[in-house]
Amino acid sequence: MGALSYRSAAKIAAREMHSSRGKFFFVILSVAIGVAALTGVRGFSSSFRASLLNRARSIMAADLSARMFSQPTPEEQKGLDEIAASGVEITPVTELLSMASAAKTLDPLLVSMKAVDPSMYPFYGEVELAQGGRLSAVLMPDTVVVADDLLVRLNLKVGDELKIGTKLFRIASVVVNEPDRLSGNFAAGPRVLITREGLEASGLLAPGSHAGQRYLFKVPRPRSGALISDAAVADLKARLEKLLPEAQIIDYRETNPALTQGLDRATSLLSLMSLVALVLGAIGVAMAMRAHLQQRLDTIAIMKSLGARSGQIMKIYLLQTLLLGLVGGLLGVALGVGVQLAFPYLLAKLINVDTDFHIQMVTVVTGLVAGILTTLLFTLPPLLDIRGVRPILILRRAVEDNDDPFVTAIRRKITKNLAQIGAAVLILLGLAAIATTLSDSAVVGRVFSLGLVAVLGVLLGASAAVLAGLKYFLSKTRPHLPSSLRHGLANLYRPGNPSAALLAALGMGVMQIMTVYLVQQAVVTELHISAAPNLPNVFLIDIANNEVDGVRALLKGEHSVTAAPELLPVVSSRIINIDGVPADQAKLKNFPKRMLRSINLTWSDDVPPGTKTMEGSWWGAGERGVVVALDERQAERLGVKVGSHITFAAQDKQMVATVVALTKSDGQHAYSRAEFVLPPTALAGLPVVWYGGVHADPAHVGDLQRALYKAYPTVTVINVAQALETVRAVVIQITYVIQFLAAFSIFAGIVILASSIAGTRYRRIREVVVLKTLGATRARIATVFSIEFAVLGLVAGFVGIAFANVIAKVLLNRLTVAYHFQWMWTLGALLGTAALTVVTGWAASHRILGQKPLEVLREE
Amino acid sequence: MIRVEGLRKSIRNGARTVDILKGLDFTIPQGQFAAIMGSSGSGKSTLLGLLAGLDTPSEGNVFLNGTAISYLPEDKLAQVRGKTIGFVFQSYQLIPTLTALENVLLPHELNADAKEDGLGRARELLVSVGLGDRMDHYPVQLSGGEQQRVALARAFILRPPIVLADEPTGNLDTTNGAHVLELLLNLNRTEGTTLVLVTHDPVLATYANRRIVLRDGLVVGDEMNASPAEAPREAALSEG
Repeated sequence: MGALSYRSAAKIAAREMHSSRGKFFFVILSVAIGVAALTGVRGFSSSFRASLLNRARSIMAADLSARMFSQPTPEEQKGLDEIAASGVEITPVTELLSMASAAKTLDPLLVSMKAVDPSMYPFYGEVELAQGGRLSAVLMPDTVVVADDLLVRLNLKVGDELKIGTKLFRIASVVVNEPDRLSGNFAAGPRVLITREGLEASGLLAPGSHAGQRYLFKVPRPRSGALISDAAVADLKARLEKLLPEAQIIDYRETNPALTQGLDRATSLLSLMSLVALVLGAIGVAMAMRAHLQQRLDTIAIMKSLGARSGQIMKIYLLQTLLLGLVGGLLGVALGVGVQLAFPYLLAKLINVDTDFHIQMVTVVTGLVAGILTTLLFTLPPLLDIRGVRPILILRRAVEDNDDPFVTAIRRKITKNLAQIGAAVLILLGLAAIATTLSDSAVVGRVFSLGLVAVLGVLLGASAAVLAGLKYFLSKTRPHLPSSLRHGLANLYRPGNPSAALLAALGMGVMQIMTVYLVQQAVVTELHISAAPNLPNVFLIDIANNEVDGVRALLKGEHSVTAAPELLPVVSSRIINIDGVPADQAKLKNFPKRMLRSINLTWSDDVPPGTKTMEGSWWGAGERGVVVALDERQAERLGVKVGSHITFAAQDKQMVATVVALTKSDGQHAYSRAEFVLPPTALAGLPVVWYGGVHADPAHVGDLQRALYKAYPTVTVINVAQALETVRAVVIQITYVIQFLAAFSIFAGIVILASSIAGTRYRRIREVVVLKTLGATRARIATVFSIEFAVLGLVAGFVGIAFANVIAKVLLNRLTVAYHFQWMWTLGALLGTAALTVVTGWAASHRILGQKPLEVLREE
Repeated sequence: MIRVEGLRKSIRNGARTVDILKGLDFTIPQGQFAAIMGSSGSGKSTLLGLLAGLDTPSEGNVFLNGTAISYLPEDKLAQVRGKTIGFVFQSYQLIPTLTALENVLLPHELNADAKEDGLGRARELLVSVGLGDRMDHYPVQLSGGEQQRVALARAFILRPPIVLADEPTGNLDTTNGAHVLELLLNLNRTEGTTLVLVTHDPVLATYANRRIVLRDGLVVGDEMNASPAEAPREAALSEG
């Protein structure tokens, strides 16, 4: 026989596909769903992420900000000019406390001034004005824009004049929200926005004034029109940290921990889901192709007996695989694009997502290539099996006796299957490459593929062990079991029935689906906490010790307040020594030494709300020692660790506190403002002022402000309700998107698993016929198959769910999200898997059960 | 007793209708050994399938001991098959996941009315077909001849009044074929069953009391054999 041409091979492959369309439908379905999930999830999440990152930038109003504690030195200024020359936009924002008064009454009021260049500020987001319009249209050198609170306190209205320093300014509008409200100073007094020229003209910027300066930076967009990369932001950050050693440089991702964490977690979760979708599709394909080739053994044997070489036959099936991958891939891409376009509409009812979604060629091509590649990779082992098919099969379908000792059997298996092992290595490398491309990270690719192999190995081992255990049980109890049960269990060992492989595939699928579910659920729960509707959105500053009970009572009685107020005691202090080094010699990182002279201490028995202990441990109630917990970032700046000693001084008292815990705060509670927390006894007797945080209905914050001002005019109210609403809305968007995409991935997974189960039905046809001929009713056959399927489902479910919990725990740990074992869901998933296998098994066998035996026998 | 009345079977092959059986009428009395002969494509396997209720005829009916079976619902048919018919296939059709003993026992387990000690009878039958030492072997561990002997034992376990065999020796070499045939005839004799055997082997047909010859879906010959050949001799079977 000459070389089989690709043309002839393709002809045979195509005829075979045509003759068993039903069977190949499942293969194509698996590939298509896998690729669709991949394309849909990946495409949608990358668009969503881009739009979210823009929102995150608007919370800082820039890509980066540098908080300065002194005027830049000439060298620093020169460096900044060089950065500006490279295309980075820079605008300064000056914040200071000052007195303002109404031009008519001259009542003084402490205000929080913010001088900006309205032609530049904000780089991202909008300054919301009560009267509408743009900031640059109303803020002139002779006008100011003020907070509603100021109008209340000074009894003014828009158009009136306000005296600041030596100059009069017309009130042009009321500011409702500034994009960077949450990243600015949280100092006392209502907001007054002024131009830089206005501030200079007011004469307030005298040398030695306590003005705080921030520089906002905007990285230029690449010429290609692509998004600003995180790397470009990180580069600029590193450059600025070097240039301005005393400044605190933060990038837009650090502004709002809840938002950026949500974003990071969503990103990790979404890339996990893409990979999972892909592998699930691959499992479906591998199972279906295996079943297909198993059925083609006769054909293959016949061809071999006619002189065909393994390579020639493999050519036929390789072409078939390629064709299936291509058809499935194309279908999947079309489906994925459809899904991606449909998502915004489906989600539009729940959240307001930007519908600026466009099809990215990269995603489409990646999806298609990944589909074809995984199909090829995963069908390699069954394709290689072709080499082992002996022509004698036509005459006798014999299986070698397998009474070898275990080790010999394993050794023989390894030496006989060197090519398969080679294929497995190739699959691993291919998967790593695909995972790396998909997740844009070599580490993720490596970890994912190695993890997958490890899990697959363990799953196969566990499945084989469970099957062996069952077989042993069966051998001991065989004669005593009811015949349907015995027959059902015996079916697990049907020759050529890859029970261990099917179990591993099912287990893997269940594991991945369950992992996605568990991680998704934990992440969403955390996000819900950080987007909880009763987080403080109004902060109270400078409540005197004797006012605290009254303020608490007032807040409780106020109808707009929807949650119990958080009140935080603050003791002014300074640091005089760190680990034996006097404060003025301490080595600090991005923390000016003079700041050590003005720090806030607070007390608490328990871990305050919104705070997590990251290192060390919190003290027990009634702790009498002098210990301190501080924010981990602050600790890094001060160079302290758990076990370090900090000497605080407050009034004439000095105390050496041992650092026992490093914490991380969500930045959303009153306690997030406290830098150092000590036990109550350590601070007893020191003068204290109180800060408060309370949640008020955003629409009625004005009423609360008026009521507070009337009763406690010296207490400053900071309203961040609008700013927090923005963040909350975004976080809620993230949770919806995560849930939606997770549900989609899970659905895709279930379809794929169902199709791999359905793929096994061709092996059962003959058995059904024989049983029927022997007098078995359909109910009896269905019972036998149900037992087989239920056992498969239970075992796969058990193994898969156990692994899912382990993996979810590890993943969540990495994402610093709490993991909780969920009994109900675990049990539900276990029974669900069994039900899924039984139902799909039934559904797939339904037609066979109804078939007349002779129809099948005639085909022999 | 088997009675066939106006039996027709057509199948659609694309746009074309192919008539496989074109109207058959005959009766096989209880205890008779009838061989159905004919060349490939004459319709003999289809006829056997219809006799066993494995398919529905296009027209006509099959009566087993007076009961019309052809249009019974599927599950009812399964019961009739279980109680009335033992079937022997050319390619054995054992359940690969069950041992030889379990395969033989299966019809007994499928038949809720079976009273006799099935296990005892299954063992007995396996011993009688010479597989007393291979009861716990799986089909793949048995040779073709051995598998067919298991299938024979299975066909007889419920003492069915009718045994239908489709080329039972067709896949076997001469020695094994002779052995299986001998067992079939002995079982037939001792159990007093009606035996219908489909074959295209004229030698095999010489053992039957009656020969029904089919051609193109019609009965073209139906003759009694007054002196059927004796079952093959033991000596010829010793190699099996």
